[in-house]
Amino acid sequence: MSYNKVTPGIADELREIVGAKYVIYGDADRLEPFSHDEVAEKDYAHLPEAVVRPSSAEEISRIMKLANRERIAVTPRGAGSGLSGGAVPICGGIVLLMDRMNRILEIDPANMMAVVEPGVVTNEINNQLASYGLVFAGYPMSLETCYVGGNVAENAGGGKAVKYGVTGRYITGLEMVTPTGEIVSYGGKVVKDVSGYNIIQLMVGSEGTLGIFTRIIIKLLPLPKTAVDLLVLFRTVDEAIEAVPRIMTHGIIPTAIEFMDRLAIKTSCQYLHESIPYEDCGAMLLVEVDGFDSQQVEHEYETVGELCMECGAMEVYVADNATTAERIWKIRRNIAEAFKVTAPHQSLEDIVVPISQIPEMVRELERLSQKYDVQIPCYGHAGDGNLHATPVMNPAWTTEKWQEVLPKIIDDMFRATVRLGGKISGEHGIGHKRKAYLSLAMSEAEIDLMRQIKRALDPNNILNPGKIFDV
Amino acid sequence: MSDYSGIWILAEQSAGRVLGISHELLTRGRELADKRKVPLSAVLLGNNVSEADLAELIERGADQVILAEHAELDAFRPEPHTRVMQRLVEKYHPEIIIAGATSTGRTLMPYLAVKLHAGLTADCTVLDIEPGTGNLLQTRPAIGGNILATIKTPEARPQMATVRPKSTRPAMRQAGRTGEIIREPVADDLLSSGISRVGFVKDESTANISDAKAVVAGGRGFKTSEKFKMVYALADELQAAVGASRDAVDRAWITYPHQVGLSGKTVTPGLYVAIGISGAIQHLAGMQTAETVVAINNDPDAMIFSVADYGIVGDLSEVMPVLLERLRERREAGASQSEEAGG
Amino acid sequence: MNIIVPIKQVPETNAVRMDEATGTMIRDGVVSIINPLDLYGIELAIELRERFGGRATAISMGPPKAEEALREAIAMGLDDGILLSDRAFAGADTWATAYALSQAIRKIGDYDVIICGERATDGDTGQVGPAIAAFLDLPVASYISKFEDFSEGQMRLHRLVEDGYEILQVGLPCVLTVVKEVSNPRLPTLRGKQKARKADLPVWNAADIEADPTLVGLKGSPTRVVKIHRPKVSRQCEKALANDEASTDQAVRGLLDLLEKRELI
Repeated sequence: MSYNKVTPGIADELREIVGAKYVIYGDADRLEPFSHDEVAEKDYAHLPEAVVRPSSAEEISRIMKLANRERIAVTPRGAGSGLSGGAVPICGGIVLLMDRMNRILEIDPANMMAVVEPGVVTNEINNQLASYGLVFAGYPMSLETCYVGGNVAENAGGGKAVKYGVTGRYITGLEMVTPTGEIVSYGGKVVKDVSGYNIIQLMVGSEGTLGIFTRIIIKLLPLPKTAVDLLVLFRTVDEAIEAVPRIMTHGIIPTAIEFMDRLAIKTSCQYLHESIPYEDCGAMLLVEVDGFDSQQVEHEYETVGELCMECGAMEVYVADNATTAERIWKIRRNIAEAFKVTAPHQSLEDIVVPISQIPEMVRELERLSQKYDVQIPCYGHAGDGNLHATPVMNPAWTTEKWQEVLPKIIDDMFRATVRLGGKISGEHGIGHKRKAYLSLAMSEAEIDLMRQIKRALDPNNILNPGKIFDV
Repeated sequence: MSDYSGIWILAEQSAGRVLGISHELLTRGRELADKRKVPLSAVLLGNNVSEADLAELIERGADQVILAEHAELDAFRPEPHTRVMQRLVEKYHPEIIIAGATSTGRTLMPYLAVKLHAGLTADCTVLDIEPGTGNLLQTRPAIGGNILATIKTPEARPQMATVRPKSTRPAMRQAGRTGEIIREPVADDLLSSGISRVGFVKDESTANISDAKAVVAGGRGFKTSEKFKMVYALADELQAAVGASRDAVDRAWITYPHQVGLSGKTVTPGLYVAIGISGAIQHLAGMQTAETVVAINNDPDAMIFSVADYGIVGDLSEVMPVLLERLRERREAGASQSEEAGG
Repeated sequence: MNIIVPIKQVPETNAVRMDEATGTMIRDGVVSIINPLDLYGIELAIELRERFGGRATAISMGPPKAEEALREAIAMGLDDGILLSDRAFAGADTWATAYALSQAIRKIGDYDVIICGERATDGDTGQVGPAIAAFLDLPVASYISKFEDFSEGQMRLHRLVEDGYEILQVGLPCVLTVVKEVSNPRLPTLRGKQKARKADLPVWNAADIEADPTLVGLKGSPTRVVKIHRPKVSRQCEKALANDEASTDQAVRGLLDLLEKRELI
């Protein structure tokens, strides 16, 4: 599929639609920040021809109609914190930057709903909600920078999905602009809605290929009053993973169960100069329980702690205040950064397997690590089987060798994942980073059904082309 | 209360030489003494103190030096120093005693305040006299520099305060200024202590950043201890002390004496350069009163920029080498210029 | 070796918000924690107790809620906790605080070492440790950065001063104030938390510690806060973007110009 370029004449039309100062055109330096997301490898980047910053659904509608008329690719973009290349304009064209549509339009405590624009920073919603005693339970790890529109488009998961599920669960209404430029609106401030197809949930996780959200209705939850984190040290991965179903089937649903393997722990703790005794530790779980009644939470964390001890835990650390909780979470949060210090190249993956298959998956990763002579630290959301297995370049290698070997590692890893009943991405999305591997997890017929939906909604393949699958 | 009159500063010495903090305290003391129209005394405990240094205390504004000398008073130990001070206070009844917020002052003053049942305020930034009552008004930052509290001691005497080193200029020397040096005998029974100093490890690297005119501080943004060495290089170029955020200290890239912030040191240098420091409120509390603040950070929204005069938004690995190179060029150009001028 | 660790509960500083109008701290909903600098003292106390035996006891003066801090200290590994709580203690400055704590320490009676944090992150005075020593007529070794050993009744310690480290021999009983370098605080454990929850925490009032009523609380405090105001630190940050060679060069040049103009280089 080839697209036309944004000509100076078209740039003028765009300026006419959104205002001259909201168009970046012909200035490679200023366009560069919009050529990539948080995927580090430069190979995945591509410069847009223009960045346009609309302020309303009407403006977006006019831009889409223009793009269809001129056959120019359009890629919507939030904060650019994605990890699959979803916001990268790989066919050039126009990047639709949603940063100006950043208003929280309404907080409706009576209905426990909020209406927001897509460019609001996710954490900002929760900052505003705190005084109402409410919370938006979507909790991606990047919540301090990411935009809620991107969360919906990628169906973001994160650390608290075990208890609260992923973003889509809280989206009850969407106003959006279709790829052909129509403004439509589905759902509303209602919890139940079977009036027609569930277009909202089709849009959730569509990675910016099916529509551009302009207004999002979010279901809210009461804000838990108290939370306690446990850091549990195990000798082996098996012991750690065995504890997960034990906890989950005990009538306690933790907010988070994070897993870290030996390599991830060692690298992060050394980087942080953390003094907890991790030398003999083969795996750690970080378990968070939250609630409204401190005694209830106390009872729950104690139960979880005891279950872990029964599973052979070496030690259970308890953090029930900001100082200690921060110290515990720091270990988990700094893994990626710690590896970046020693090896600049790594491929952050987010495979997901049934929980019971985590030990087998970890063993599989060890085999791959030996086979290819690379380190593959594994950490992530054990409570939902979502693992950040992250091949890290062998420091002795050249970048060329890494680029040659990495696809083989990924291919082996994804095949193993699928064999164990898993999927190749749990929360980051396919984008163009994992597009080549989608056929490992899906049949041609299954992909083709998605292709037909895409064709029906976007006949000219204008919106975010080249993502998930090739049309 | 009216029995108490005169302003004291607690001068400090090391191996018989008067320390610079004493001269800064004379600036503070002179102002107060002039307002109160009372004499200013420098009180010094030590051993074999240089006569020239004693005379200098007078030249820099003391009307009187009260000196207690004894071999046992050479190194600071809280109990003997306190007992000697207590005797002197009971003899002379000063209305105000000011000391430096040094490892000595911060230890001796609270110990002494208890013994005298006196009020003591730590780390004052402003000292003034309340019109009418003549009370000492002591202003100090609190809650991480978020507020300034003004404190007074309405009843108890003497009124005691510590002030941060380098928060005042040293008093000017006036040649020929005269005053009295009073040598107070020290009774042996005051000198027992449960503490003995058996050694000293000089560590220039702990060079007190609270005293420095310029501080270059590094944080988490450096990522490795290797890269953190660039902080030292820049500090060398700027003749600055090296500071660090808590993150850098926790990662063992540098030792605790360099930590700036709420759980480290508070600094008030003329120049503070923060590199790779995001500016958590705890860090800002330790440096936001610096005269000029410069920040280098790759996050344009980093809090550190909110207290900075000049900020460079960029990758420190790219910016630092250029900055170092430009400073080096400038220095070398300056050196060759002065050579020419000299030749 | 019986050890007493005076600790303070302070607001978590990340959460500190100021009321712009009144210049006071908004305490509503602010989380309280153990003064972070006290944790190093708690850890040293646990390590000494583990090596030399005895009991390590935390004491704290504060509202009933300060009990949480004591339980956390026990969860880390201290043996007991005692809370000093009485309306009469309210409004105490460092003098009156140290008086009450020293009276409680007298009541405990059997102690060898008192270990304080360098200072509290809220009051930020560092006066209470030396003042306790003064009330109890004990030697105080302040700014201790390292415990080396203990033999023949003497502790060998390093004291952080302006230009290095003093090596001190200190006899017992004594008061230490410690800095961060002295230890790596451990995290509370599940077993510790369980023990802490069950621990019996005596609450002592002014009468229990036989305090002179004129020497505690606001009444016993020589100092008075007469005014509080908010300092204005308003800076206009001139930001220069450095994302390639040319802009980096320009940004650095801008920085040097400013430093030159202000005579800082």
